Amino acid sequence: MQIDVNGKAFEVEVEPEMPLLWVLRDELGITGPKYGCGIAQCGACTVHVDGFVVRSCQLAVRDLGNRKVTTIEGLGSPEALHAVQAAWIEHQVAQCGYCQSGQIMQAASFLKTNPNPSDEQIDAVMSSNLCRCGTYPRIRSAVKAAAKKLQEG
Amino acid sequence: MINKLFEVSMTRSLPLVSLPFRALPIPLTSGRSSGSLGSLGFLILLVAVFSGTLTLSTSVTAAEDKVVINPPAEGSVSQQEGLQAWARIFEVASHPRCANCHTGESDRPMWSGPSYGKTRVHGMNVQAGTSRIGAETLLCGTCHTTKSEDWDNANATPHAAPRVAMNWALAPVEAHWFGQTSEQICAQLRNPETNGDRTMREIAEHLNHDLILHWAWAPGGGREPAPYSLQEHVNDILAWGVAGTPCPQD
Amino acid sequence: MGIVGTVTRRTFLIGTAAIAGGVAFGTYLVKRPIENPLLADLKDGEAAITPYIKIDASGITLITPRADKGQGAYSIQARLIAEELDFDPATAVITPGMPGPAYYNSAVLEEGVPFPAYDDSAIAETARQFMSVPAKLMSMQMTGGSSTVPDGHHKMRMAGAVARETLKEAAAQQVGVDRSQLTTEDGHVVLPDGKRIAYTELATTAASIEPITDVQLRPSSEWKHLGKPTQRLDMPAKCTGTEKYGIDLVVDGMVHAAVRANPGVGAGVKSFDASSAEAMRGVQKVIAIKNGVAVIADNTWRAWRAADAIDITWEQGPYPENTDAIFAEIEKVIDQDEFRDHRNRNDGDVDTALTAGDVFEATYKVPYLAHAPMEPMNALVRVTDTECEIWTGTQIPLFVRDHAAAMTGLDKDQVLVYVQPMGGSFGHKLEDTHVLQAVEIAIAMKGTPVKMVWSREEDMTHDYPRPGSIAKGRGTVSNGQVETFDLSVGQSSLMADWFGRLTGLAIPGPDATITTGSWDQPFAIPNYRVTGYRAPTMVPVSSWRSVGASGNGFFHDCLLDELIHKAGADPLAERIRLCMHEDSRKVLEKVGEISGWDGPSMGENRGRGVAFCLSFGVPTAIVTEVTNTEAGITIDKVYTVVDVGEVLDPTNLEAQVFGGVVFGMAHAMNCETTYENYAAQQNNYHAYEGMRLYQTPEFETVALTNAKKIRGIGEPSVPPAAPSLANAIFAATGKRIREMPLNKHIDFV
Repeated sequence: MQIDVNGKAFEVEVEPEMPLLWVLRDELGITGPKYGCGIAQCGACTVHVDGFVVRSCQLAVRDLGNRKVTTIEGLGSPEALHAVQAAWIEHQVAQCGYCQSGQIMQAASFLKTNPNPSDEQIDAVMSSNLCRCGTYPRIRSAVKAAAKKLQEG
Repeated sequence: MINKLFEVSMTRSLPLVSLPFRALPIPLTSGRSSGSLGSLGFLILLVAVFSGTLTLSTSVTAAEDKVVINPPAEGSVSQQEGLQAWARIFEVASHPRCANCHTGESDRPMWSGPSYGKTRVHGMNVQAGTSRIGAETLLCGTCHTTKSEDWDNANATPHAAPRVAMNWALAPVEAHWFGQTSEQICAQLRNPETNGDRTMREIAEHLNHDLILHWAWAPGGGREPAPYSLQEHVNDILAWGVAGTPCPQD
Repeated sequence: MGIVGTVTRRTFLIGTAAIAGGVAFGTYLVKRPIENPLLADLKDGEAAITPYIKIDASGITLITPRADKGQGAYSIQARLIAEELDFDPATAVITPGMPGPAYYNSAVLEEGVPFPAYDDSAIAETARQFMSVPAKLMSMQMTGGSSTVPDGHHKMRMAGAVARETLKEAAAQQVGVDRSQLTTEDGHVVLPDGKRIAYTELATTAASIEPITDVQLRPSSEWKHLGKPTQRLDMPAKCTGTEKYGIDLVVDGMVHAAVRANPGVGAGVKSFDASSAEAMRGVQKVIAIKNGVAVIADNTWRAWRAADAIDITWEQGPYPENTDAIFAEIEKVIDQDEFRDHRNRNDGDVDTALTAGDVFEATYKVPYLAHAPMEPMNALVRVTDTECEIWTGTQIPLFVRDHAAAMTGLDKDQVLVYVQPMGGSFGHKLEDTHVLQAVEIAIAMKGTPVKMVWSREEDMTHDYPRPGSIAKGRGTVSNGQVETFDLSVGQSSLMADWFGRLTGLAIPGPDATITTGSWDQPFAIPNYRVTGYRAPTMVPVSSWRSVGASGNGFFHDCLLDELIHKAGADPLAERIRLCMHEDSRKVLEKVGEISGWDGPSMGENRGRGVAFCLSFGVPTAIVTEVTNTEAGITIDKVYTVVDVGEVLDPTNLEAQVFGGVVFGMAHAMNCETTYENYAAQQNNYHAYEGMRLYQTPEFETVALTNAKKIRGIGEPSVPPAAPSLANAIFAATGKRIREMPLNKHIDFV
């Protein structure tokens, strides 16, 4: 089957029930999305599918259809940061960093549809992304800063 | 087909902001990448989705008829038999596999049942919102991904987010079953003003068509299924209907 | 005092001499300089100045041997060097390098001396400094114990200064001027006429001259980068998905391995049937390994699925089969002389004090706790007849090397350990059972690189958890003051378990970690006694962020809080009054000031709690504010004050402080590792939730710098977090909770 990741087409031949996460990581070598739990409890595997946030460990590749996948690598790069990534760096959010691909993908999608989020909304959207290092206080600041930056254009 | 379903669902729909229909790109269709839908867009989404009769993607095939809908003959079910059927219906409706998402005005799904230990709201602060699908904050479908077709063993992993070949969502507000008594649920389910304007036959068809409801009897992952079976439940609904939908408080 | 078990000034020698192999090592061995490992592989045009800096024409490489598990170790080590070397570390390649004896950690064993951190007497200091000796002789290259900064802050700046002066000397020789006429700036030597020569252009000359070691470090007042808010060097990579953790590595010809080991950790396999697994797609082989079964496949997910399909009959677990039975063994040893391990605190006369009047008694309990960092355990290993290469995130690279050498039969210098950045650890990567499983599999697949990754379920059920513990507290009060404080702590010995696994030795002597965090607190309570009782080894246990203080912080400051309450005194004021260590007292006073403390009550259903713990030499005070809502407790705000002596990186310090508080409170709220039929029951995050963003309080953090010694900050904010929360809950609800997780007794929103 053909899948579209970060704007490139890939041919993969795998069991249709293989989770997208493992197609990305092991078949395609795209390791930005991480494995943390495999049961949608941590969000480290978060990608965008046609722009919508999805836990790639919960999406079987057969259910992807011809929708387009964006991983953290497709959101931005060290040379061309997405506004959320720039805010994350400015606010020094990451500690071990393992959960942050998922955190950033979650925040980036959310800010597209909720450009001026309240604290309650941020709490509702970001709380299914687990961080064992406890970076939450700076995630909050970075989301708000990114929202502001995106609004300013 | 979709237009017709939507019109139908509009007339049946529960009190809502009435909005002009617009063909919107929604999760699961291939097509344009997301733009800023805004709150209007999400309300439209909500109307299109939670009626339960509209599955969002043309690529999701309507379920094959999984049950036989064959109501008993008129007059063939006594009041007592009807109440017995109701008792079984209540067992199903109040079971965690159903009641956990039939939370009434609360937009928090519940986690209850033997596999959870203590009863509590769904973890991680998830909120289904007015849209009932989390459109305002975090879509249910983020974790409870939508299957493109009804393939087997998708929910074998314990403690993972169950998924069906339909968008995951809370039930409408009126279908409040969690923590409700038999009398309360009975009153809600038999009244067209609170049951989505349905006859019992239409409820049976709803049970047949809406795959998310089938999950209750085959939840996977070590979860306790709803009692009886989908077919037995449909039979009970039909029998209860023929009996004149008697309730314990009558 | 001379009573059996009371601390004597000589007991520590027994421990360390034994660890060093029971040998009376001579001064020669201690003083012998260690070869710079970088000199071994030097290519033409490369200079290695000190074991920390390599320069060639293309750039500078900094060796940062302390592992980074998210605490910012790579960044701070690089900046320590760069501050003296006068260049931008963001332009350098930063690598932990190849592990070696030159990178021993002189500070990590210091906490183990039987002197509290506030004791800066000559003998205490000598004992601490002495701990660098076994560290050197054991080639203790280890990251942990909040020791990276104490260990590195002098020697890595020295390395930078030595390199700087050596490069100046190289320029001096190249140009024909005296070194004293040269300065350095931004990676260049600056000549008297203003011309600049890049360090990279001086590499060849620098390689041929003796390093200049007679150097002076700059005072902190002259620092350009240290001490100021800064950006971590790994931040851009971690925010763009380009940081590669061990689990992300891909090498040509690599296969994937999954293991299932006996959930009764340490016991073996009776039999297994892999016939279904072997037939599954992508599976190459199924083999027996120590205490388990391994699947080799062409993809992680396929390997895990196949492993799940193996029918395994396990040997019975080697410890009591369930949590109740385990804790019964712990309870048994408390206050029993034959199990007394140590009594490192015994001021006044507790026994007599406890016979007079109204004695308060309470029992406290903390659970076994898994580490559960988000990157599960993994290792990539390739074994050939002449070499063993291991890529893994580890805090103990030389132990990994030595264990792998023993397993493969190769010499130690044929084993190459490539340390990877870690997606968290909290102490789990101080163990290497998972690495050795990968080595065992790689031996069976000789020549083929094997990447073995534990599933989350395997990771959480095969952890070496923080030991569960029970403490019995007694005390008396009089005239509004705390008079007597007596704590008896029962626990299995984590040092015996953990160091036993690392060294293969039976570690004799007391295990002070049973009471670290409660015996060593800076209070002058008239009758003050803390005793450790050693329970037998049961579930194999290990070091968890803040080690002994993780449980003892709770025991000590909950008991103290209860006694203060009984005395009718203010929780903060009485702690301040009792505190005889000036630096600690200032920390307590400061937290009172920033929190606006005016008593524990904050109105109806609202309260605040204070707790203090001196651990890893860092006095830490926390005030936590909570609200008791209808749906449960919300944690509203946390004020934390620490004293680390000198702040090298205020941005990272703040992150480590609130990160540690979140870690401590997360586990306090709802985490425990329990056992049923020998197996850990919590096998994924649904059963071990911790704290989520919506539950996270506001933070205000202050770092004082009164202390004379510089300290690390990776762990100290953990021990007082849970007791400050429990004490706040008491203030808000009147409910005193004496066991963790607290949600056994109260709900959190």
